[in-house]
Amino acid sequence: MTILGALGVLGGKYPWRPDIPKTALMRRRMLWAYAFAAAPIIALIVFLLGPILFSGWVSLHRWDMLSPVGEMPWRGLSNYSYLLSKDPVFLKSLGNTFTFAIGGVGANTILGLGFALLLNSRIRGRAIWRVLYFMPVITAPLALAVMFSFIFDRNFGVVNNVITGLGLPRQPFLSGPNQALLTLVFIAVYQYIGYYIVIFLAGLQGIPQDYYDAAQVDGAGRIQEFRYITLPLLRPVMLFVVVTNTIGALQVFDLVFATTGGAPANSSMTVVLHMYNTAFKFSRMGRASAMAFILFAIIMLITIAQVRLLRDRAYGD
Amino acid sequence: MRDETARPQPLGDALKYLVLLAGAFIMVFPFIWMIIASLMTAGEIQLRPPVWLPAEPQFQNYTELPQKIPIARLYFNSLFTSSLIVFGVLLSSSLAGFAFAKYRFPGREFLFYLILATMMIPFFVTLIPVFFIVRQLGWIDTYQGLVAPGLTSAYGIFLMRQFIITLPDELIDAARIDGASELRIFWRIIVPLVKPALATLGTFAFIGAWNNFLWPLLVLNSRELMTLPLGINSMRSLYADNTNLLMAGAAVAVIPMLIVFIFLQRYFIQGIALTGLKG
Repeated sequence: MTILGALGVLGGKYPWRPDIPKTALMRRRMLWAYAFAAAPIIALIVFLLGPILFSGWVSLHRWDMLSPVGEMPWRGLSNYSYLLSKDPVFLKSLGNTFTFAIGGVGANTILGLGFALLLNSRIRGRAIWRVLYFMPVITAPLALAVMFSFIFDRNFGVVNNVITGLGLPRQPFLSGPNQALLTLVFIAVYQYIGYYIVIFLAGLQGIPQDYYDAAQVDGAGRIQEFRYITLPLLRPVMLFVVVTNTIGALQVFDLVFATTGGAPANSSMTVVLHMYNTAFKFSRMGRASAMAFILFAIIMLITIAQVRLLRDRAYGD
Repeated sequence: MRDETARPQPLGDALKYLVLLAGAFIMVFPFIWMIIASLMTAGEIQLRPPVWLPAEPQFQNYTELPQKIPIARLYFNSLFTSSLIVFGVLLSSSLAGFAFAKYRFPGREFLFYLILATMMIPFFVTLIPVFFIVRQLGWIDTYQGLVAPGLTSAYGIFLMRQFIITLPDELIDAARIDGASELRIFWRIIVPLVKPALATLGTFAFIGAWNNFLWPLLVLNSRELMTLPLGINSMRSLYADNTNLLMAGAAVAVIPMLIVFIFLQRYFIQGIALTGLKG
């Protein structure tokens, strides 16, 4: 499991030892290794490592990106304290982002596992079902945003056409303060469910048939099999799904930008969209960077908590 | 895989197909509705009571599309920049992955930890500085500004290292005894053996670049350089009055990619299982 593998490596699974080559031949090979790795490492430093340090520095200043970097006025932690105490939109967007992530991750995990179980049973046309469920995964979020703005339109959307056809009241969906965020959760689940079905399906197919045979000999029912074989053995897959989905959901941008834009009344504003507006509409780079760091810290803490909670104690990772 | 032949349940089976069918309907309907609406007139879309099919399919919605938006140009831009990014990611990841997997050099562990740490940095944290750097380089509104930050991937390096480390050292030693240069070993031995991993990484890099929106939105201004998602975004102003044209535009942007996916779906899905569950 790639992400967890990385966490394991960071956690000190691999020994730290100097590899100093002893012969001229080895030294020449060493130079080749440096040559192979140099460009990618420099690129990572220029476009990832340097920027994150710079971003942290900017978050302690006031900066509009136009004035010279050396002359940014120092603001200490005031960007952070402003966001956490005086910026109602930020706190609102933080709450919205959590709701969005909890709703999306919950639905994707339960529905993803449910459909994977269905597809893993004796079923015809497994490949075709998989393709149908997977189509939105590879579609641009922006295209889906446009399609669903239309489908959920208050006045001429197809969903409202059906609802009113049944004699029920017209719903605002994306334009309703109480419904916008929920509708966005639906679209996000629609988009990614196929991905998680495929992941769960691969996990289910990795469980040896012998376990189920043995359970049947012992007279276990279907529910017992699920509870005592499937679920425990699927735990690493569950962890992967929950962690990656949470990390992704907390960063949602495209979908919100192109449907509600955070409206109505910031009821669907998310952190990254608020950060984008703060930085690129209002040129407050310091405040936007502080926002990014707060969200980054939250993502790290949640990831660590999820890994601790869901890690399989009996089977390692 | 579960073998349930021992327990036939006709009623349960019918229910299974019903649930799967309902789910599949929800998944496919938005695409079908997009195509149906793209063939309606602007008036038909807003009719009350609603109509479900156009009285006569309006194919000119598609033929007139190039007047609203430079479709061919959008495709060229998306293909060109996504291909550059895929090429960059594959080359840099496999080269660096090879170095980390099969060579010993001072600083190897430290640099590898560094790469793992950067793997966890989300894009939004570096967005402002990367934009600043690209602007300082004078690359705003250029292809290189769009492509440069995406040419390397910490995740890609990690993935390739995990694959290359499983290849036996004897292969490399044997080639060295035969007098092969290190570069030749890379091209002739390593690359052919990690082709499945490269295909997977390339597929993901391509989809990521192809669908990317936020970065192109920031970097590009001119119409000549716009990628497909930016094109759809610029068409959003047609919404309500010309929703039919907007849907035609979205269909043209989305359907070809779906067709490619349907033909290559086996590789996509194997790739997900590969990267998601191993490594």
